[in-house]
Amino acid sequence: MPPGISTSDFYYILPELVLTGGALLVLIADVLLPRGSKALAWVTLLAIGATIASLVPFGSTHVEVAHGLLAVDQFALFFKIVFLGAAALTVLMSVRYLEIEGASPGEYYFLILCATLGMMIMAGGIDLLTIFIGLETMAVSFYILAGFIKPNQRSNEAAVKYFLLGAFSLGILLYGMSIMYGLSGTTNLRTMATAFVGQERDPRLVLAVILVVAGLGFKIAAVPFHMWAPDVYEGAPTPVTAFLSVGSKAASFAMLLRIFLEGLPSMSADWRLMFEVLAIVTMTIGNLAALTQTNIKRMLAYSSIAHAGYILIGVVAGTPRGVAAMLIYLLIYAFMQLGAFTIIIIMRRQDVVGDELKDFSGLHIRHPFAAFAMLLFMLSLGGIPPTAGFMGKFWLFGAAIDAGYVRLAVIGVLNSAISLYYYIRLVVFMYLKPQGAGSPVTTSPSLGIALAVAVIGTIFLGVYPRLLFDLAEMSARTLGVAAVTAAIR
Amino acid sequence: MGQAIAFYTLAAFILGFAVLVVTTKDTVHSVLFLVLDFLFVAALYVLLDAPFLAVIQVLVYAGGIVVLYLFVVMLVNLKRPPEAHHDPHRRTKLGLFLAVAVLLELGAIAVYQTTRPVLSVPGAPMPVTGNTEQVGWLLYTSYLIPFEIASMLLLVAMIGAIVLAKREL
Amino acid sequence: MMFPILSSLVALPIAGAILLLFVRDDEHNEPLVRNIALVVSLLVFAQTLLLWSRFNAGSAEFQFVERHAWIPAFGISYLVGVDGISLLLLVLTGFLTPLALLSSWESVHKKTKAFCIFVLLLESAMMGVFVSLDLFLFYIFWDAMLIPMYFLIGIWGYDRRVYAAVKFMLYTMAGSVLMLLAILALAYLHNAATGAYSFDLLRLYDLRIPPPMQFWCFLAFALAFAIKVPLFPFHTWLPDAHVEAPTAGSVILAGVLLKMGTYGLVRFAFPLFPLAASYFAPYLALLAVIGIMYGALVAMVQPDMKKLVAYSSVSHLGFVVLGIAAMNTQGVQGAVYQMLNHGVSTGGLFLIVGMLSDRRHTRLISEYGGLKRVVPHLVAVFLIVTLSSIGLPGLNGFVGELLILLGAFRWSPRAAAFAASGVILSATYMLWMFQRVNYGPVNNDKNKTMRDLSAREWAILVPIVAMIALMGVLPNMFLRPIGPSVERMLNQVRQGAGVQIQAIKNSEFGSRNSD
Repeated sequence: MPPGISTSDFYYILPELVLTGGALLVLIADVLLPRGSKALAWVTLLAIGATIASLVPFGSTHVEVAHGLLAVDQFALFFKIVFLGAAALTVLMSVRYLEIEGASPGEYYFLILCATLGMMIMAGGIDLLTIFIGLETMAVSFYILAGFIKPNQRSNEAAVKYFLLGAFSLGILLYGMSIMYGLSGTTNLRTMATAFVGQERDPRLVLAVILVVAGLGFKIAAVPFHMWAPDVYEGAPTPVTAFLSVGSKAASFAMLLRIFLEGLPSMSADWRLMFEVLAIVTMTIGNLAALTQTNIKRMLAYSSIAHAGYILIGVVAGTPRGVAAMLIYLLIYAFMQLGAFTIIIIMRRQDVVGDELKDFSGLHIRHPFAAFAMLLFMLSLGGIPPTAGFMGKFWLFGAAIDAGYVRLAVIGVLNSAISLYYYIRLVVFMYLKPQGAGSPVTTSPSLGIALAVAVIGTIFLGVYPRLLFDLAEMSARTLGVAAVTAAIR
Repeated sequence: MGQAIAFYTLAAFILGFAVLVVTTKDTVHSVLFLVLDFLFVAALYVLLDAPFLAVIQVLVYAGGIVVLYLFVVMLVNLKRPPEAHHDPHRRTKLGLFLAVAVLLELGAIAVYQTTRPVLSVPGAPMPVTGNTEQVGWLLYTSYLIPFEIASMLLLVAMIGAIVLAKREL
Repeated sequence: MMFPILSSLVALPIAGAILLLFVRDDEHNEPLVRNIALVVSLLVFAQTLLLWSRFNAGSAEFQFVERHAWIPAFGISYLVGVDGISLLLLVLTGFLTPLALLSSWESVHKKTKAFCIFVLLLESAMMGVFVSLDLFLFYIFWDAMLIPMYFLIGIWGYDRRVYAAVKFMLYTMAGSVLMLLAILALAYLHNAATGAYSFDLLRLYDLRIPPPMQFWCFLAFALAFAIKVPLFPFHTWLPDAHVEAPTAGSVILAGVLLKMGTYGLVRFAFPLFPLAASYFAPYLALLAVIGIMYGALVAMVQPDMKKLVAYSSVSHLGFVVLGIAAMNTQGVQGAVYQMLNHGVSTGGLFLIVGMLSDRRHTRLISEYGGLKRVVPHLVAVFLIVTLSSIGLPGLNGFVGELLILLGAFRWSPRAAAFAASGVILSATYMLWMFQRVNYGPVNNDKNKTMRDLSAREWAILVPIVAMIALMGVLPNMFLRPIGPSVERMLNQVRQGAGVQIQAIKNSEFGSRNSD
């Protein structure tokens, strides 16, 4: 082995290797399997399952791989589980959707796996280089996935918009990163953190922080960098939208935490202020814009923007409790958001697109369980107990109060009261309006599994969140957060 | 001092051409300005003692990618301003002149090489050919993992291009 | 180990709802569904009576306490218990739910199964609110209550049900989110003081909260409760919700849900923040008095019987808040007693209005007249309930109102004087309505063929009448368990406020001395 890398490094990136192998296997299987075979989805799920299994040995590992390019710790582990779980659910909900849209599944599943790989690298990266390559892998996969339904004009439009704004934001991010590198002489975040101590007043560093915040703001769709989100969410294939709003968002938050808490703790006064403003604006604008939407995907896009605002509260708090709250929220959000999108996919039938509000009219007569599940997800997104969404918000606002940001918590709860209006409006349509048009609503086995997982997750985490809380607290502590809190106080 | 002057001059050119790339109406001109821009960036690399990167910049960006751009631009045949076609033979003459000049230059180099071969001084170290070796070494040791991920990224891009370009999969 | 009777109060309706899920939902299963729900709710009622019989009325402490760790990292536990105040509200809930279910026998025919499930879930959440001694748990039940009520109004309500349901949900939610923050703030204050988070009400009672924090937290709690009560000017959701809700929904809404606001004031807002409470009590009383007058005056001009009863609720609940704000034994005892009274008599009124509306499909007073001749039995019961509602001596309403007015008079004669005029007004609008509906000639032909009470309706109304008489004649039976708990709560408020006022004075003197 040459110097700079050792055999053990390959052991520690085992999950990534397994996932890469799985992705390649899917490509090969696509050629070998007969056309129209559903086995491909199961191969993909197998690859995801194998990756999850390969995470097991790293339950309590805390090492840096390849001289600080990647970290294998519980923080990364937590996110990897979120990504892989989200990917699995996305695959489950894609099977019938791809059939109806007539898209080829091989490349689709491959790209889903590659996007997941990128996310895993992003969550583990503690070096700007690794993080950026991971981000790029994820982003390129999503650009293509967004335009995957080629005959659909809106899908094309979504892909182009996402690509252009994505590339633009990556440029800004990269600019900020290069300034960070230029000022510290290293791309390693942890080395960088020590190099930046005492440089708080350096205007170049402030500029770098602003640029990185803006670049990441695009990725998490924070206002005012959110313009792409509604169009892309509406136009992209529904499972892709689901994965985009959960996976990409979670990965970007992981990366954001790594960069700011591990690399720029000394600048916390600056970025806290920026994120606080972003959080307030994002929550408020997201919710207000969602109020008037009649397309469910678009409504969920704005709601997803608002949720990014809630999650940013955890960054502002910056304490281990705040980070733990973010992890909890992202996981819970994955369940409820993916669940809601599963319902939209169930509504997609040969003759109905099924993403307009009126398509949901009287759903509880046509498919009582789907209506009940959607009700659950809406209540959870709105943060009503005893659903998981309430627990997540409770933890976030609690962290904000703990860190002394009472105003953020107040704005947060007021926003969640506003948000209730549009979540409840969908419930009104499902339960209180006469039946809508179209062929009967049915589920397929894979959709059923996805829905069941999301429902159980949303209920279970709402009633018994203790395990998740403990796990998230533990994961949050592995991040360099302890040092941050020390630096702040 | 000299380096600073060189840097600022190059930077000014890079920015100037970048502005021209986006302001020029004629797409072909715009692409050609992009080539110039890339060449100046390559010069910047030379200034930074990174000749390998400079060569890569010229080969991949100025050479490969922009040529593809040109192909695309010409194939889709975007509307060009009509006054550009005043003298249909002007370009032929210019092209002929340039081609002859390049041919002469190549011939001169060939003659020069055969008549005066490079002298190798015994005992002297091999001439330093740049930092190619260092770059390679770093890529395949310390940065092996990002390098491998980048290969996946390229695969994704390739598959993506196929997916988007192919009419029916 | 003791039988966890409080948990079973919460769990039994849920179990019943789950059982109902497995019953096939079709026409001929309808009686089965109704009977299961009724039996479950009767069992719950029996359990509340059992609880009452086992309850040690001499003790002011929380009894039947159960405690299990839930989210230890945040000091959240499953902690339930009852004292004299919550005990009778539990009994009231248990009493009204079967009646509400029975009342829907003829008026609800679509989606009967879902209806019964929602009523049972609602009952469970209401029980949960009254037994929770952990603020987190309380908040969960508090919010969880909204969902079944939302559907009860939204699916089985009258014409503008969707609007009313959404308005109900949003109003109550907007109030309660700030309370959530205040609850969180309390837990953090506890952490700052003792080093451990806690949502345990009994521990938080002992917490010394700095005055500015007290004011904010009190306002947050009070807003949530004021919307629920509803106190003027937060009452606008109530007429809509009541008018559009089905009879069962109205009965539960008026009978139990509104009490949660006043219960919250007694249980949480006042004892937790004594200083702020004593500061804001006059303002609460002012709003309460305005509510009493306003509710009565608006009720007087309502053409719709249900709306009239709804506005009378605003007026009656104003009395309850006034009694609480007075913060003396008579006032608070009267307030708690009046909560029960209002539950029984207004519940009864809604039931009767529901019966009339089942027969004639209208609730407009002008559509009726001379019912005395046509349906004498119904009118007789109507009369008793009306008289109970306006507080005729010998019936239940009198005891509560008298106690409240006594308490209020000791505290502020002026407030009591204004409130007393509300009693007169309530007599006016109730009796006027009663007269227009039941006396005079039968002008409308449709009324001539009305049938009198059926056996089922007798089964609904007899318990109501019995309760009205019992509470009017033997008030001590009910006041005995209430007494010690009320005393304890009052001591807590007085001591808390006194100690803190003393502390502030001391620090002022201290700083003055040091100058």
